[in-house]
Parts: sequence; structure tokens; C-alpha cells
Amino acid sequence: MEAFPQHPPGFLHAAELAFRRDRDPEGDALLEKARDRFPEDFSTWFTSAKRLLALGQMDQALEFNRQARVCAPENAGGLIQQAELLMAKQDWDAALEVWEDIRERFPQAPAGHVRGAACAKEAGRPKLARRILLERQFGASPPDLVATTDPATESRVSQTRVGHMLSLIWTKAVFGLRAEVSRSFLSYGWWILEPLLHMVVYQLVFGFLLNRGGEDFPVFLLSGLIPWMWVAKSIGSGSGSIIAGQNLMLQVGVEPAIFPLVSVLRATLRQLPVFGLLFLFVWVMGFPPTTAWIWLVPLILVQAILITVFTCAIAAALPFVRDLKHLVPTGIMFLMFLSGIFYDYRTIGEDWQGFFLLNPFAFLLKCYREILMAGQAPDLAVLGAWGAGGLLSLFGLLSLFRVLRYQYPRVVLR
Amino acid sequence: MDPIISLDDVRVTYRRRGSLFRKGACHDALRGVSFEIYPGETLGILGRNGAGKSTLLRTISGVLKPDGGQVLNHGASVSLLALQAGFDLDLNGADNAILSGMLHGHPRGQVEAHLGAIQDYSELGEAFHAPVRTYSTGMRARLGFSITTIVSPGVLLIDEVLSVGDKHFREKAERTMVAKIQSQQTVVLVSHSHQQVQRMCDRAVLLEGGKTFMTGTPEEVLPSYEELLRRGSAAQGS
Repeated sequence: MEAFPQHPPGFLHAAELAFRRDRDPEGDALLEKARDRFPEDFSTWFTSAKRLLALGQMDQALEFNRQARVCAPENAGGLIQQAELLMAKQDWDAALEVWEDIRERFPQAPAGHVRGAACAKEAGRPKLARRILLERQFGASPPDLVATTDPATESRVSQTRVGHMLSLIWTKAVFGLRAEVSRSFLSYGWWILEPLLHMVVYQLVFGFLLNRGGEDFPVFLLSGLIPWMWVAKSIGSGSGSIIAGQNLMLQVGVEPAIFPLVSVLRATLRQLPVFGLLFLFVWVMGFPPTTAWIWLVPLILVQAILITVFTCAIAAALPFVRDLKHLVPTGIMFLMFLSGIFYDYRTIGEDWQGFFLLNPFAFLLKCYREILMAGQAPDLAVLGAWGAGGLLSLFGLLSLFRVLRYQYPRVVLR
Repeated sequence: MDPIISLDDVRVTYRRRGSLFRKGACHDALRGVSFEIYPGETLGILGRNGAGKSTLLRTISGVLKPDGGQVLNHGASVSLLALQAGFDLDLNGADNAILSGMLHGHPRGQVEAHLGAIQDYSELGEAFHAPVRTYSTGMRARLGFSITTIVSPGVLLIDEVLSVGDKHFREKAERTMVAKIQSQQTVVLVSHSHQQVQRMCDRAVLLEGGKTFMTGTPEEVLPSYEELLRRGSAAQGS
């Protein structure tokens, strides 16, 4: 100390030594001397503040700490000491502010997070404490990872629930077709090949082996078979769709009605190009388009409605009566034989024809043949009746789905 | 502060279907769960296997209606983070991301607008446009989790999803959740990780046998959870 009178550490060490030996007055005197001689020195003020903290003289300690920070504003130690002093004073809010300042200016100093969190905890703010510790581990929240969109506010304003449901059905159907196509080498080719293969089989059995039909049999067969395949595909894929959608219903709570509707839409989208080919085939085979072909539009529409009704009804019932599942394929086949695909309804007994045509699909196939082969308008009254009845049942079914909305996730769990 | 969701004595019973040769049976998944969720908090749900945690989340999210008691939602949008929900293995990553986003309630246009961000987040690169069936498990998990970049409902429910992918991605996933937590997102988190609950959650609810066993800070609840686990394994051992 005497050898280096211009050197503050000498005084400070001597003071520390004095305190250790319980010669407090001597230490205090040394510190005072140091403050007189080196008012520009950070450690002098810092050590003095530390001494007063030990003595519990907080206000004076804070003043010394302020001096220290004036001497070295870039020293994290001064700020940390200030925060600790404020904590000792139990001035939590002020201390928290200082800790925050430290975290901002000296992110490398662990005290900012560790002691800051301890301070928040002491202050009775455990949540803030947890946040500070997480911040230490993960950094301050990276804003680019946090979405600002809330489906509840943003989307529901721009899009209604029904709109979202329709868009979801469309997307699921189109994507489903895309996936289906990607699974096979011939991809879209199967949409055409499959009905053609069916036709070859039926032509072989009924036209060739059983020698039925006659010259126009291929047209007759195809004009029944292709509309029927739309029905069979839709019911076949849609009937179990709600059961298959179990996971989705439980995870994201989608409406059960979506599943059969997606199946119907998928089958319908597949059907459109096939219909185009059917009409081309009919034309090439010697049945050119007539004005009666206009009636194909309402006919296809009514068929679409009826297909939707049948698919939804079976899909709605299956989760409750699982045993029905075993009846679906047989039922579809039964319906196929009763729809007159490879025979003309006029060949059955006249007493039974009325009954036969009560099957809506038998009636629809009859309409297709009337339009395509005879160039006649179909029975519009009956067609309209089926259309109206179908629409009513469809609305009934959709409201039933609403009512049972919370039943399905449970039922499929059983 | 007012809660945004209150559960009052919530009960859920599953009935198992009987058959010609077997009688149907009932299983009480929840038999009286009550607690509150406050805005901006991170709530941990603890409980042993079969304590009813998943059923509870499904009930809060509105997928299941309780058989008794009630879930009072004071106007918050609730979404259960369902990773890989509705994934079609034959579709590519982008298509699956769109479907997943739509299933979480976002309009298609909005998901498509964020597709670039989703791709970046998933770190899949060009594989994003390859069929998901060619993905490894880890890649699928990453794609599934990347949907969180757009999912941000009023209350986010998370069921054990922070354990996806490799270490690097797991840390990223955790960082994302923390970012959401820091941004005042209300989060309900089911976790088996003691440490995770302690670090992330403001409060914790301990379920046992379908009932609320305890509610409190993680520091209060975790010892009871440990005790239950110990008792459970002791019972199994004897």
C-alpha cells in the first residue's frame, strides 16, 4: 500500500484483510481513504457498496453503486450489484427492471437470467421466472416461428363454416384421386379401362355365351353399366368411410358428413370423363345425339342426388350397426341385378314391371336408354319426384349428421 | 383473472359394444374432473397411463361431449395439435401439409400462402414434393410438426408431441413451443417428462383414475406424481 500509493487495489485488499480480521473500523477507514484518493475508480466504489450491503445500509450502498456505474458504465458487475442491492432492499419491481436491462445489454452474463429468475420468484411471479429461464435456454422468442393467424378470428370472418367444409371436401376428393392415380402405372387409364373390362366380361357372358341381346347389345349394356358403376363405386367406397375416418374425428373433430361426401365426390369426378366416353361410344355405334340428350343433364343430376342419399344413409348407419358391413357388398350386387343392366326390364312379367321400376336405379337406367337409344324424353314427372324426394332425404340426412355429430366419435371408439 | 375454459365435474364413459357372445361393458374414462384454464398460461396435464389424459384433451377440444358435468368455453378457439392427422402416404409433403392445415381449420388459401414457411420449417428440402410414403419416420414427424407454424388457436392442446424426430429437430420443436408459450399463447400440455413440465408449465393438473387428484404449481404437483408412479410400480412388482 505504501509502496504503491497510486494503486487502488492495495487499499481495497488491505480493507478486505482488515474486515476478515474483524478490524472493521480500520477497514472502513481504508475504504474511505480509497474513495478520497480514487474517485474515478470503479472497484473502489464497488467494494464500498459491497461493504455497506453487508452492513445493511442499503441506501448508502446504492449511492456508492451509482458512483461505480458512473465510473464504468460498460461493466456488467455494477448493474448486477445494483440489482442485488435492490433485491436485498426487497424493491422487486426496480430489481426486475435492472435484471431485464442486464439481460438485454449483457446476454452472456448468466446472472441476468439465473438471478433475474430468482428475483422474479421471490417477487411472487413464478411465471415470469419460468419465462426468464426458458429464454436463457432457447433465446428470446424467435418471432418468425410464431404464426399470427388464429383460425377463430381470421378465417371464420372470411369463410363460413359451410364454405370451409365444402372446400375441405373438394380438396380431400381431388387429392384422394391424385393419390389413387399415383398408385398404379396406368394411372388415369384405369378410369376408362375398368368399365371397358366389365363390359367385355358381360358381353362375353350375355352376348356371346348366352346369345342374348342382339346387335345393339354393346350399346345397351354400356349405357346401363356405366351409370351403374358410378352408383356401385360411390356406395362401395363411401359406406365404411365414417368408420375409416375415426382417427380424424377424434383428433381434429371434423364433421362426420364429410367422409361419405368425399367418397361421392371422388366417384363423381372419376365418372365425368367416363360419361364423355360413353356418349361418344353411343354416337359412334349409330345413335347420334338428338335434342333428347338435353335430358341427360337433369338425369345425371338426379342420379347424383340419389347416390349421395344412399351413400350417406349407409355410411350413417354402419357405425351403429357394424354387422351391416357384411351386407353392403351383397346388397350392391343385389341392387345391380335388380337394376336391369344386362337385360331389358320389358322382358320380365308385366305384373312385376311396376314393382321393378320402384327401384330408383332401375328407373334411372331405363331413362338413360330412352334418351340415348330411343331419342325420347324420360318420364319427367317420375324423375322430378325422385329428384325432389332425394333432395329432401339429403337435407334430412345432413341434419341427422348434425344431431349425431358428437355420437360418431364415440361410436367408432367402441 | 377469469378463466377461458372451465371444467366442472366432467365425466366421460365409453361403452364397449357387445356381441352375440359377449356382453357390452362400460368404462369410465373421466369420473369428475374440474379445473380452470386461464388465458396465457401453460398448463401441464400429468397422470399415469390410463388416467384419462387423452380423453380429457378430446373433451376440452370439443371432439367428445361429456356425459356429465360441463366444459364451459368462454369464447376461445381450441385446437388439438394433431400431427400427421389425415396424412395420405401417396400424396407429397406439400399436399399433406395443405390437408393437415385445412383439417386444423385454416382455409386452403391461407395454408398455401404459408407453404414456403412450412417447407423451410420441416427441413425436408426437395423431398417436400415427394410422396410421403418415401419418407423416413423422422421425416414424417418433421412434416407433421411443421404444421404448427400456422396453427395458433386461442388455446393449443398438445398431447405428447414434443418427442418427434431426431435431437436437433426435437430441440427445434421445443423451441417453437416455447416461442408460442412466450407469445402469450394458452397451452395445455400432456407430458410424461418431469423436466418438461417443470420448465414449461405455470401450473399442473394431476389426474388419477379419471379424477383430478391435485392442482397446483409444478413444484407442488410433481412430487405427488412421482409418488403415484412409485406406488404404481410397487403394486405391479408385488
